[in-house]
Amino acid sequence: MGNWLLTLILFMSEISSRSEVESGHQIDPGLRELFVCMMQVAFSAFGGGMSLWSHRIIVERRHWMTSEAFVTGLTVARLFPGPNQINMSVYIGSIFKGVPGSLAATAGIILLPFTLLMLLGLIYFQVSAISEVNRLLAGLAAAAAGMALSMGFKILDVYKKDHLALAIAVIVFVCLQGFKFPLIPVVLVAGAISMSLYWPRGQQR
Amino acid sequence: MTAIQTWWQVVITFLKLSLFSIGGGNTLLQAYHREAVETFGWLTNRQFSDLYGLAEAAPGPSSMFVGLLGLGAGWKHGPVWALITGYSAEIAILLPSTVVMLIASVYWNHWRDSPWRMAFERGLGPVTLGILFSVSVTILKTANHSLIAYGLSFMVCFFVLKTKISPLVFIGICGLAGVLGFVR
Repeated sequence: MGNWLLTLILFMSEISSRSEVESGHQIDPGLRELFVCMMQVAFSAFGGGMSLWSHRIIVERRHWMTSEAFVTGLTVARLFPGPNQINMSVYIGSIFKGVPGSLAATAGIILLPFTLLMLLGLIYFQVSAISEVNRLLAGLAAAAAGMALSMGFKILDVYKKDHLALAIAVIVFVCLQGFKFPLIPVVLVAGAISMSLYWPRGQQR
Repeated sequence: MTAIQTWWQVVITFLKLSLFSIGGGNTLLQAYHREAVETFGWLTNRQFSDLYGLAEAAPGPSSMFVGLLGLGAGWKHGPVWALITGYSAEIAILLPSTVVMLIASVYWNHWRDSPWRMAFERGLGPVTLGILFSVSVTILKTANHSLIAYGLSFMVCFFVLKTKISPLVFIGICGLAGVLGFVR
């Protein structure tokens, strides 16, 4: 039964990515477009690959924002509490349409996927776990991990000529993975140092 | 315990945790486990990890896992209460952090010309880059328990970067490899 539902989900996301190709390039989306686009992001993404998908759909296909503006949004979304992709939709929505835009984008990314997940959850509690479903989940998780990793490389591309940025990224990585420092102090300290290094000296009086 | 009491327990638990979910959903995973399995006994250990796999594989933000925890907590009072508690859990974990993010996003546009914002934008990108790779390593370790699984992850990463093939193709291949028993 789980297999059947996942096939349905794959099919739905395939349909959504087709209708989006037909609609072509759009600038300055309205509330309905924000809702639909974020729903599309949600249905295209499995597991950790969501920021990759939102980049692909919002920057590469729809050209709503530049890659740099997207990375900025991602940074703000990561810095403030809350799930990254929910925060990212709040940010994207607010850029174009303020508070209503945020609500439309957030509803888009979560409403339908969440309802589907709730139904899957009910099925899970109704029928006890099937080993084939578990093995399927293991395979999907491996794919999701690979997609999460590719997002790192994609952003690495933006900074590949900036040696200072690369050095900061390496130090942050070592602090988190090597020394296992907690995220919050690492962000506060490394963020403050990095901000002072990137302070806009030229444009100031 | 009545259905309302369970509901209240769930809502309060996730409202409290909301503002501590910094850096994405995974940072709170241990706290979820402590509350749902150890403190309140909403779920067994096995159910917890099964539902996490389900939330990771389903389309949509992986933070929707919280809704499944609520669903599990409410299940003993029947499917209707399970759904009510599930939706409430998700709203509870999202509401405080979304309000903060909304305020931040609105003010972000007001601070367009401030040197603080310029420094913030340029300076925090590299920090995010480091965090992204760190989170990726953690996700790789959590998701993969065999060399073949790691191989699949790196293959997906390579092809997503180097080709225009839809990632859904790789998801399908990895899912099939999983069903055939190669991954676990």
